[in-house]
Amino acid sequence: MSWLSDKFSSTLSGGPSKESPSWQWFYRLGSPRWFYQRSGQWLPWLSLVALLVLATGLVWGLAFAPEDAKQGNSFRIIYIHVPAAFLAQSGYFIMAIAGAIGLIWKMKMSYMVMKAAAPIGAVLTFIALFTGAVWGKPTWGAYWVWDARITSMLILLFLYAGVMALQYAYHSVDAASRASAILALVGTVNIPIINKSVDWWYTLHQPATIKLTSAPSMHMDMFMPLLVMIVGFYLFYAVALILHTRNEILRRERKTSWVRELVTAKAGG
Amino acid sequence: MYFESFEALLNMSGHGVYVWSSLAVTLAAMLWLVIAPLFKQRALLQEVNRDIQRQQDRELAAKTASLSDSHEESN
Repeated sequence: MSWLSDKFSSTLSGGPSKESPSWQWFYRLGSPRWFYQRSGQWLPWLSLVALLVLATGLVWGLAFAPEDAKQGNSFRIIYIHVPAAFLAQSGYFIMAIAGAIGLIWKMKMSYMVMKAAAPIGAVLTFIALFTGAVWGKPTWGAYWVWDARITSMLILLFLYAGVMALQYAYHSVDAASRASAILALVGTVNIPIINKSVDWWYTLHQPATIKLTSAPSMHMDMFMPLLVMIVGFYLFYAVALILHTRNEILRRERKTSWVRELVTAKAGG
Repeated sequence: MYFESFEALLNMSGHGVYVWSSLAVTLAAMLWLVIAPLFKQRALLQEVNRDIQRQQDRELAAKTASLSDSHEESN
């Protein structure tokens, strides 16, 4: 019966539980301190890779890819417009999922990621709308049309703004996080609408260039740099999200001993 | 390169204005997304540093006050 007493003694002594080691990564990820320290090590490498991939994609797409038969060189805006629009939507999912995890498991770290994702998503949505407008002028003859795709993207921008505003609408951080998370989750309805808008309505906006279910509707010489740019934007998004999340950690944990130790260690060394 | 000259790349047969202005605004927005948090981080760390200094000053003041008190009592 020694195994039983061992088990009891370890429980009574309050030692680390060995119940589910496979879940440890989840708990670690939930620790702001662990995330802050680790992400500080990842950031320089991640930033370097993001920069290299983005630079490669840009030079390839803007200077080396062939021009479009119908649209001429204005089509090159696709190399920033599509990746930005892609990440504006993926970023919304990331924000909503982080909010859901916060609501379900009361994970503070997850709420911090949600808050950090909102301004990044808003800026990416703005980039998609702006480059789309500039592209519209030579292609459609107008900067702006109240087309289903463009209008639903504008709603996405307002949803991001709403999540950001709700963070400041409450005195209690918990109440603000919960309200933002609920708005983020409700707003996910808009994502499939954005996606399907070019199929459901008669839009001026061209249908999707890239689909998971079929081959891309563009030549490989044009498609490869676009793929590189999308990967580059994902990497950039990761860098931006980590940077913003780290600040949120500092803001909320500034009274804790580990942040104080971090600052004194930096000042001393 | 697809274009024959650097001028042709800049001009993009008349579409250069649209492409390069899109790129400029995009790069500016993306740079802002990574540079603003770096400045913010510095400000946050300085704020924590000031808090620590203030606390140390208070502790030091309390210590000297209690020392001078005990000095007066012994007289």
